[in-house]
Amino acid sequence: MAENALAGAIARIEGRFGVHALARGSTSERHRSELVIATKSSLDDVIGGGLIAGEPIAFIGPPSVGKLQLALRATASAQAQGGMAAWIDPTSSFDPIAAQRASVDLERLIVVRARGTHLALATAAALRSEGFRLVVVDVGDRAFGGTNVDDIAPALSAVRGSPAALLVVAGEPGRRVAIPTFLFERVAWERRFDRTVGWSFAVGRAHASDRALFCVTSLEGTLADLGTRPDLAQVAV
Amino acid sequence: MRDPVTLAIVVTDAPDLHGRLLATLHAALPRVGVLDPCAFVCDLAGTEELLGAPTRIARNVLARCARAGARASAGIAPTPFVARVVAERTPPGEVRLVDDGRAFLAPLPLDVLPVDVKVHDELRLLGLRTVGEFADLPRGSVFDRFGSAVARAHALARGEYGDMVRASAPPRRIRARRAWDDAIGSREQLVFALRVVVDEISGALARDGFAALRLELRLDREDAGPLRIERTVLPPTREAAALLRSLRWALEERSELGLVTGCALEVPEVEPARGRQIGLFAPDGARAEEAIATARYLRAKLGTGAVLRARVADEAARLPERATEWVEVIA
Repeated sequence: MAENALAGAIARIEGRFGVHALARGSTSERHRSELVIATKSSLDDVIGGGLIAGEPIAFIGPPSVGKLQLALRATASAQAQGGMAAWIDPTSSFDPIAAQRASVDLERLIVVRARGTHLALATAAALRSEGFRLVVVDVGDRAFGGTNVDDIAPALSAVRGSPAALLVVAGEPGRRVAIPTFLFERVAWERRFDRTVGWSFAVGRAHASDRALFCVTSLEGTLADLGTRPDLAQVAV
Repeated sequence: MRDPVTLAIVVTDAPDLHGRLLATLHAALPRVGVLDPCAFVCDLAGTEELLGAPTRIARNVLARCARAGARASAGIAPTPFVARVVAERTPPGEVRLVDDGRAFLAPLPLDVLPVDVKVHDELRLLGLRTVGEFADLPRGSVFDRFGSAVARAHALARGEYGDMVRASAPPRRIRARRAWDDAIGSREQLVFALRVVVDEISGALARDGFAALRLELRLDREDAGPLRIERTVLPPTREAAALLRSLRWALEERSELGLVTGCALEVPEVEPARGRQIGLFAPDGARAEEAIATARYLRAKLGTGAVLRARVADEAARLPERATEWVEVIA
């Protein structure tokens, strides 16, 4: 009888306040170390400690600014904590060599090339699975054949309670979906001997002053962490 | 001579009640075997202190059978074969105890022995008419002339061959059901509500050491008849997450579920749960299995060339398409 009453109460709360208004104890009481995917960079300071399982986050910025570099770093971190990752790739633009250079274990990464309505289906299936720690959706830039962030809206209800964090990488924010968004801005070009050899970029919330600063150098092909700066909004180019 | 501790129960007039009678006997006695449809044999050895004398046990069992709607007869003898023959020759509702199996069988015709018709004819040609006459033949001669199968029947005729009762495991129904006061109209909400039921099923499977091979879900609906969903779970598992995922995918395949007011989930087919070898140095091997299951689902939905794993074949290759390889996660 008690179980019937509990099931009924759960159904009523779900009906009134939404599907994921309640989370199972095993989900909500997971140890924080299991929930947080720390990239061990200054990005963690900006996004609140790391990517958190059951929560979405979006990296928005112009093409070739460094979004995928940080997404790959997050993927490698998720794998380093003992999990698999899913990379939803509607534009078929995933670069395995870049991933390998970013220390991503390709054996534990599943790339799903899903477009259109299948994009939300694949995202939701990966989020609902107990098998992934991180789900990255690289919707691409619309100028280069990418899709819209809004296309994954039907899958967002699957994020809460999921053991995986959702990371959306896009050129511009969606109009219908509200995801905590971190903007990527190019700060400066790095030049040596009159040649451009890299660039630095900043990551942060739109209206926050703290930004994480990174530098990409094409000579070494690495991502250098320059720490967190409060005044980058004024120097962005 | 062995004590008469084997009880045979034979029902001739209610063949449809086999399953129910078997469940009744399993509930009453520790070792129950099935000889034929509606013919059961029970080993009562060691039960006297707990359950009483064999005749008393037999009467209790007959009373239970009567409540189930079957008029059974009971025979108690030292061996299962003799007990069955005794039961078959006892009127329904009565119990008969035989101490000396050979003496009981001696006047009976040869037809009671489980041998081939040709052997029966040959025995009749030899002038044998009763079990007792057959039992009096020398054991070695019977074996030499007829072989091991008839030699076994010869031992049965002497009341010697004490087949052990091969007890079958009692059939357990792994089932859970729920009814909800407010009808559920959303698929997500229904999946959430099913978690409780799946957890219960998973617990029952874990207790019995089983893994579910098949699931049957019945959804009671307010505005329509019950919806029945069958799923085969491959590989068989008792993990609640995997069972729920299977049900979720089944529900997602249906466009309209209606207003669901209750559910009953049953596991009609199980397998013994097997251990799973997880690589010593492979991090989180259990999660990898879940991920592969998801990949299999997506492969079924999206087709080939959509769920892939990348490999770097030659990082220094001049052509990018030669630098990497893409392989299907699910071949």
